[in-house]
Amino acid sequence: MSTAEYDEVAVQELESDFAIEAPVGQAEMETRDVSVWFGKRKVLEGVNIAFPRNTVTALIGPSGCGKSTFIRTLNRLHELIPSAALAGEVLYKGQDIYAPEIDPVHIRLNIGMVFQKPNPFPSMTIRGNVLSGLKLSGMKRSNHDDIVEETLTHAGLWNEVKDRLNHAAGDLSGGQQQRLVIARALAVQPDVLLMDEPCSALDPGSTLKIEETIRELSNDITIIIVTHNMQQAVRVADNTAFFLATDGNPGHVVEQGPTTDIFGNPQDQRTLDYVNGRFG
Amino acid sequence: MSSTIVFDAETIPALTEQKPQTPWGRRTGKFRLVVVLAIVIPALIVGSLFMFSTLPGAVIMVAVYFPLQIIATVLAAISVRGTKSAGDAVIIVSAIGATIFSGIVLISLLWSIITKGIQAMSMAFIFQNNEYISPSTPLGYGGIGHAVLGTVLIVGISALIAVPLGVMTALYITEVRGRAVPYVRFFVQAMSGVPSVVAGLFILTVLILTGVLNNSAFAAGLAYSILMLPTVARTAEEVLKLVPEELRTGALALGSTRARVALRVVVPAAKTGIITAAILGVARVVGETAPLLLTALKNDKTVLNPFSEPISALPTYIFTNVAQPYPDAVLRAWGAALALMVIVAVLFTVTRVLSAKRPGK
Repeated sequence: MSTAEYDEVAVQELESDFAIEAPVGQAEMETRDVSVWFGKRKVLEGVNIAFPRNTVTALIGPSGCGKSTFIRTLNRLHELIPSAALAGEVLYKGQDIYAPEIDPVHIRLNIGMVFQKPNPFPSMTIRGNVLSGLKLSGMKRSNHDDIVEETLTHAGLWNEVKDRLNHAAGDLSGGQQQRLVIARALAVQPDVLLMDEPCSALDPGSTLKIEETIRELSNDITIIIVTHNMQQAVRVADNTAFFLATDGNPGHVVEQGPTTDIFGNPQDQRTLDYVNGRFG
Repeated sequence: MSSTIVFDAETIPALTEQKPQTPWGRRTGKFRLVVVLAIVIPALIVGSLFMFSTLPGAVIMVAVYFPLQIIATVLAAISVRGTKSAGDAVIIVSAIGATIFSGIVLISLLWSIITKGIQAMSMAFIFQNNEYISPSTPLGYGGIGHAVLGTVLIVGISALIAVPLGVMTALYITEVRGRAVPYVRFFVQAMSGVPSVVAGLFILTVLILTGVLNNSAFAAGLAYSILMLPTVARTAEEVLKLVPEELRTGALALGSTRARVALRVVVPAAKTGIITAAILGVARVVGETAPLLLTALKNDKTVLNPFSEPISALPTYIFTNVAQPYPDAVLRAWGAALALMVIVAVLFTVTRVLSAKRPGK
């Protein structure tokens, strides 16, 4: 690559890095120059994304580009991996969540997460699973019955399980289990919900229900979702960020902005190729 | 010249070099201060009690230091992170305390074995046998060579018998899944409760007194294998159960027979665990003395034939020497204990290194 070409790419990246420019203090979450390492290997470089309050942001990109790693830095799960390291700032309501005076337990209570594989607690009933966050975090909320009904309805599962709340959670199908863990995440009333490919193992019907849930939830909370399904990003996300890692280089954000722009009028050739399914 | 877009790297944050950091390890000054206070204050109080009171040390530790440290922990946690974190802090501090306590016990045990055992150590002690040596012979003459050889022979024989049998029993339970599984599991469990002296008696009455076998390394190996079998079988069963069912169905879907699934896919996937099972089996028996006293007896000569005659092993050597009224004989027993410990440690390290190899490279 000649210098001129390199410069052009670099400038494009810089422009795209600040594309979702929320007014100062408005973004629920924001990352500044977040880079991530595992041991000596740098897997993410200079990620700047703002997540405005009550929006859905989709993180897309081919496998191994660091999307899942990035989302785990947002609620301090990243640090549980022994060789993990990080630079930059992750702001939540304007406060760096990695500051020494911040209690990670408090962060994870307010920034919930749903994982790729449904992980209901096998020793608990359906009802027990929904309420487990309250017990585990020591949060006091009255009227448990209302919470169970409200969150299960929110997650689109209430009608299917209302007659068997005291059955074991393991009896549910995969799609139902995933909606159950979404209900469980909602019961502690998080401000932000991180979702790491929540529909990758689900059938289209369950996927549709979860997408409806996401749209509905975005009235009240901020959602950040990693997805491999580009139609899903178009359907649910207000904003989209495209991650890419090439030939052993660390992953970075190639382009980000309103979902309609990323899919309808991408500025970068690589984004155009990716959203049209030409690679990745 | 084409128009090049010029920019100054200094002004662009993403292009300046970042260093990997672990911000979750950073602590506030208040946190450090509180932790130091929570450690130092109870230690000072207990230290002064040790100096200026006549209470026994054990009473001070249990009745004063332990509750005091828990209270200090709770107060420290509340002052830094609020009431919710108190339980966390108590559990963490108790876990650290329990680790330190068991560490001290272990280190003092190792310390006494090493400091006493090292006094007996010499080339002669390691390589010579005990022929022409009496308990009152000074250190420097005679050694444990014959006993080391005996231990290796007896444990080797028992491992050759018990490890394959144990692994196959585990395979029956996890892979064959035949009708007898509950009974097999029950008997394996019952066998693990057999006292070692009973294993020795069994071999003595059934095989030695009936004239089938001599008092020999082989007879002792049989007795050891009775003790080793349930340990190997149960541990191997646990690790085979950890192999994901998807691997089995994946291999079956490639047209594999069940035997090939077990031997080519399941056992290699659980290789490290099966080696651990074998190690645990060896560790279970290597110090057992009672079966040896009934089957291998003792012998001061070096014996190589596992069928011909009585043979000494390290446990019997320790047993006979530690009861002697001569200080040098007791030191020999310590030396043999040290040797036994070193042998087990070497064995564990070698198998760990061998089993750490991964496919590729």
